[in-house]
Amino acid sequence: MAELQSTLFQLAGGLRFTVGIFFLTLLFSIPLGLIVARGRMSKNKILAGVVRIYISVMRGTPLMLQLLLVYFGPYYVFGVKLADLDVGPFKYRFVATIIGFSLNYAAYFAEIFRGGIQSMPVGQYEAAQILGFSRMQTFFRIILPQVIKRVLPSVTNEVITLVKDTSLAQVLAVTEMFTMAKNLASTQVSVMPFIAAGAFYYIMNGVIEIVMTRAEKSMSYYS
Amino acid sequence: MGVLEMKDICKSFDSLKVLKGIDLEVKKGEVVAIIGPSGGGKSTLLRCATTLEHIDSGSIVIAGETLVKTSSSGLTQYTDKKTLQDIRGKFGLVFQNFNLFPHFSVRRNITESLVHVHKKSRDEADAICDALLEKFDLTSKADAYPCNLSGGQQQRVSIARALAVNPEILFFDEPTSALDPELTSGVLKVIRELAKEKMTMVIVTHEMSFARDVADKIVFMDGGVIVEQGADVISNPHNERTREFLSKF
Ligand SMILES: Nc1ncnc2c1ncn2[C@@H]1O[C@H](COP(=O)(O)OP(=O)(O)OP(=O)(O)O)[C@@H](O)[C@H]1O
Ligand SMILES: [Mg+2]
Repeated sequence: MAELQSTLFQLAGGLRFTVGIFFLTLLFSIPLGLIVARGRMSKNKILAGVVRIYISVMRGTPLMLQLLLVYFGPYYVFGVKLADLDVGPFKYRFVATIIGFSLNYAAYFAEIFRGGIQSMPVGQYEAAQILGFSRMQTFFRIILPQVIKRVLPSVTNEVITLVKDTSLAQVLAVTEMFTMAKNLASTQVSVMPFIAAGAFYYIMNGVIEIVMTRAEKSMSYYS
Repeated sequence: MGVLEMKDICKSFDSLKVLKGIDLEVKKGEVVAIIGPSGGGKSTLLRCATTLEHIDSGSIVIAGETLVKTSSSGLTQYTDKKTLQDIRGKFGLVFQNFNLFPHFSVRRNITESLVHVHKKSRDEADAICDALLEKFDLTSKADAYPCNLSGGQQQRVSIARALAVNPEILFFDEPTSALDPELTSGVLKVIRELAKEKMTMVIVTHEMSFARDVADKIVFMDGGVIVEQGADVISNPHNERTREFLSKF
């Protein structure tokens, strides 16, 4: 019993990083995804082409590999000492994790947003133009709120995947929950820590489902 | 001087010539109905007048401001951004399929541009909105969303939205074509009332009897040109193509 308690306690310690990676990734990747989506739809062929390649590389290679590149890249390419890259109290291994996750998820979000934006009927833009709204106003007042409603189910899928993907941070030796579970399992010679970690992930996703369902409901007043 | 003056408008989509030198003048208080067979360029003409399409050559003056003109050297030039914005406040367009903003209530559909484009206070905007809703018999729907309204009600809201900025001219592109037959009369009634109030309007329509009743001038368009125009084109057509078209009704 005491062992279970200490297991849970240590896992909760790792959970801080898991939750941290989760929220910081969302914080950066969603706005970045929006920008990437706009770039992908740009009339500028070169910009659109570059963004397209970015998206295809991010989606076509393992996230684990991308994390390793973000982490070791500065050292091998530029000879920068990794310790110099720490940001305040955060070790570079954690910063690199956030950068890698954000770049990767931005690509996925961008494709979702692009689909949503392109599914908007042109009549919405035309009505807005006739009424005198600027392009910015049209996008933020008219288009984006409707796009959010349209893409919410796909975004929920990505968010749930992200919860599970946080375990990939172990390749940079970030002591997130999965790393903790693995260490505990080997010292205790027991699967208990894995089961407990699984329960934590499952609960997190349960909460996400509740939140997202609410969000969807709050937008169901129109169709 | 007319509220709308379009001269020698030409417009192509790739190699397809859709407007082949259209001249159209609409005077203050005048109601002009545009009729004609499908593909004749009626919508394109309206879209050019309302800045949704750019013309290849010709000139358009709306409420005394030049939107675009072709110089003697053949260069077609649109006005600057600021004037363009100015001109957009002087006309309204009612679409066939309404194009209301589904995520806004009826009230916000009408007031949003007043507040955020024309910088009126919420109270002012609400007062304008309330007056329009009352006039169009929609007061009880102020807080409803478009998806909860009938097609006829949605179209009336979209007319109210176009009228909110007090435009000098109002364009309609087949305002009743997307409606069930029993819902058209409410919308036509609203347009008739506006005509009585001497609202300047250009209406593309397939409702011949409505066009004959409400319009001061009827324009028959076919193949990218105005074939015939006048007060009694429907009751007394002169051109063979007009006659043939009208015989289908
Ligand atoms: N964006 C576009 N790109 C290419 N061709 C177009 C475009 N818009 C219109 N056309 C073509 O221009 C011609 C005139 O179309 P328009 O919609 O102006 O006709 P209309 O008189 O309004 O017909 P209807 O009564 O069916 O609405 C048609 O041949 C149409 O296919
Ligand atoms: Mg048309």
